[in-house]
Amino acid sequence: MRSEVSFRWLGLSAAFVITLIFAGVLTSLIAGSMPALKAFGFGFIFDETWRPTRERFGALGPIYGTLVTSLIAILIAVPVGIGIAVFLTEFCPRTLRRPIGIAIELLAGIPSIIYGIWGLFVFAPWFQLHIQEPVISAVGNIPVLETLFGGTPFGIGIFTAGLILSIMILPFIAAVTRDVLQTVPAVLKEASYGLGATSWEVMGRVSLPYCVSGMVGGAMLALGRALGETMAVTFVIGNAHRIEPSLFAPGTSISATIANEFAEATSPLYTAALIEMGLVLFAITFVVLAGAQFMLRRLETAKGHK
Amino acid sequence: MKKLTASRGQVLYLRRRLANFAFILLSLAAALFGLIWLGFILYALVKNGITALSPRLFSQDTAPPGSPGGLANAIYGSFVMSMLAVLAGAPIGLLGGTYLAEYSRTSRSAHALSFVVRFINDILLSAPSIVTGLFIYEFVVVPMGHFSGLAGALSLMVIVIPVVARTTENMLLLVPDGLREAAAALGAPRNFIVKTITWKAAKAGIITGILLAVARISGETAPLLFTALNNQFMSLNIARPAASLPVVIFQYALSPYQDWHDLAWAGAFLVTATVLTLSIIARILDKKRT
Amino acid sequence: MNATALEPRDAPAPTSSGNAKIDIRNLSFHYGATRALKNISVPLREYKVTAFIGPSGCGKSTLLRAVNRIFELYPNQRAEGEIFMDGEDILKAADVNLLRARIGMVFQKPTPFPMSIYNNIAYGIKLYERLPRSELDGRIEDALKRAALWSEVKDKLNTSGLSLSGGQQQRLCIARSIATRPEVILMDEPCSALDPISTAKIEELIGELAADYTIVIVTHNMQQASRASDYTVFMYLGELVEYGETEKIFTAPGKKQTEQYITGRFG
Repeated sequence: MRSEVSFRWLGLSAAFVITLIFAGVLTSLIAGSMPALKAFGFGFIFDETWRPTRERFGALGPIYGTLVTSLIAILIAVPVGIGIAVFLTEFCPRTLRRPIGIAIELLAGIPSIIYGIWGLFVFAPWFQLHIQEPVISAVGNIPVLETLFGGTPFGIGIFTAGLILSIMILPFIAAVTRDVLQTVPAVLKEASYGLGATSWEVMGRVSLPYCVSGMVGGAMLALGRALGETMAVTFVIGNAHRIEPSLFAPGTSISATIANEFAEATSPLYTAALIEMGLVLFAITFVVLAGAQFMLRRLETAKGHK
Repeated sequence: MKKLTASRGQVLYLRRRLANFAFILLSLAAALFGLIWLGFILYALVKNGITALSPRLFSQDTAPPGSPGGLANAIYGSFVMSMLAVLAGAPIGLLGGTYLAEYSRTSRSAHALSFVVRFINDILLSAPSIVTGLFIYEFVVVPMGHFSGLAGALSLMVIVIPVVARTTENMLLLVPDGLREAAAALGAPRNFIVKTITWKAAKAGIITGILLAVARISGETAPLLFTALNNQFMSLNIARPAASLPVVIFQYALSPYQDWHDLAWAGAFLVTATVLTLSIIARILDKKRT
Repeated sequence: MNATALEPRDAPAPTSSGNAKIDIRNLSFHYGATRALKNISVPLREYKVTAFIGPSGCGKSTLLRAVNRIFELYPNQRAEGEIFMDGEDILKAADVNLLRARIGMVFQKPTPFPMSIYNNIAYGIKLYERLPRSELDGRIEDALKRAALWSEVKDKLNTSGLSLSGGQQQRLCIARSIATRPEVILMDEPCSALDPISTAKIEELIGELAADYTIVIVTHNMQQASRASDYTVFMYLGELVEYGETEKIFTAPGKKQTEQYITGRFG
């Protein structure tokens, strides 16, 4: 009886440690950013100026970079990830299903620092030469595209960071989509195949609509990862505290700024400004991840009722 | 008249077939898109990493540019910090996940508490590691007054705990209730059932979770930047700053020196080889379970 | 004799029918707000086999699971009333684990633990007894013999219990529950997952075990109840409809509902 009580307490305290970590993260972020919160108030997140030498800090540039790179990543990874999941569940020959599935999952296993070094030394030069230069000259005189994709081909920049992020989150979206596709009741699919529907029609009109909430949850989970990703972005985003209309231009993200500047932040206000950016990042990812959990929990309950 | 409708039907059918074909091609293209990147990355790693590999990597510490150096201090630092993080974090994650799976159903208050803990754990699981690293910076580095291997290990532990807790809970929930009932019917108390039956039944899955946590922290860089920082030399004292492979890769890759770039590639190759080996072992274990 | 009538608890029961080992009195059971059992009173006689029959959802498994309080593993389930075992109220017993050690249970699906055949059986014994190895070996051999499994597994006691066939697994579970020397064995549809040959073996086993144990079996198979039990309880919608000697229930049921059920007109 005594060991029963003590074991229960052991489990309870471990669960408590988990909440304590969360509380610790929150308090340390708030406490650490106090000086900056007092100095800049809410204006911090709307100000683009970043002049450490003059003690002026505004987070708009990094916030913009974080949001835009993640948006690019999601726009690429969602359709491709769904495509991969559909291919693996519907069309892939049975013998290749497992190896290809594992290969895609390995993409998620590769550490982000590796994406970073590869992005900087291998991908960016290749991208600059074979994609950016032709694209920039091709959109030369087209009104909107010229603004979005104009400028100098640096190789590194906002778009490169977004593209690499999309590769990193691809496996998450593919895995969640595969999981939810498996929850589609076989009778539903058989019923529509029975009416003479093609695979595309069954997928597009029956299976995928059935899975929407799960896929939205998966995409939000992936978005949460993309927003907070540090090393892959730091290497290739260009670390420029300015907002430019062109996606090919260098920029920075919250995580990249913290990673690059934390060690060299000499004044207390500088450190506090970086920590406040961490607080902003934590708040954004919290909202996105909580949303993802909400969508995926609903899916789990639906699975339970089946 | 009849013929006309028939041919119209045929045209429609042909269009549907065509759309279907395009759809198959697109999904194939998506799969290729993923595979090409994997190939591209692994090829670059092998090409640049193999040439930079040498026994010196394991026997010499990092050195200033121009003089020959290795990665011994970084490998050692990574190993020690990862081990400490797992040794401290895995038991906490295991017990926490066990509480969520085994005790959340015992009472209404435990149920409510588990709901909150599960939510927080899943947030921590995907929260940016650079932010959770700031937590250790504020609570360990600032009071100590300097960076340390201990702080680095703690920042990695913060990553290990939610991973192990989540997989433990998932794996324990897969154990059929019938086993728990059978043991309870013999007169076994709940904690004894957990220790002798459910943990045992879920062993492969739990070990898989721990291996995946090790894989995850072996490449983790961001939180180490402001906890362990770096150290030019081998340091056996965990109260001192410690080098780690990912941080060395980060600093060397962004340096202007070619020999440092080579070392960064060698480190990248080692890290990836470790992580992928761990993931593959985890996958084999996981397959045994099912 | 009125089949549903209960003898007063203090009155000596006729020797032919055995004493009540367990006496369930006014038992009601709730799943949250749903009442699953309504005022059940029935004796379970010593060294006899009592079968609970009735259509699915009638509460027969719920009644069985109240006897060793296994329902307490889950929240929002509670039992009201009294279940006396040898004069002591089970529902008020302070230590539920000691209580369960006196009552064995066999489940619908075989539940071998993920360990060797030997350790599956040693598990229950070791919970409450410290035995020297040789004595433990003897107890395990004895239990396997009683469960009619010894000859099939004696050369592979160290292989996993999961490697056995379904019927063997179920006999392993029976061996496991008798190895701890319980006084009562509860069986919750023990044959529903088994083939006819394994079922026959287990039914035969039940008859042999009744010499030493009080046995309660839940079954949806009326032939099984008529073949294997001495007493039958017929339940419907959470109520006890009729209780009596199996032979009487199946040949001359006292209630119309019972007759309709055993002749296959509903359920």
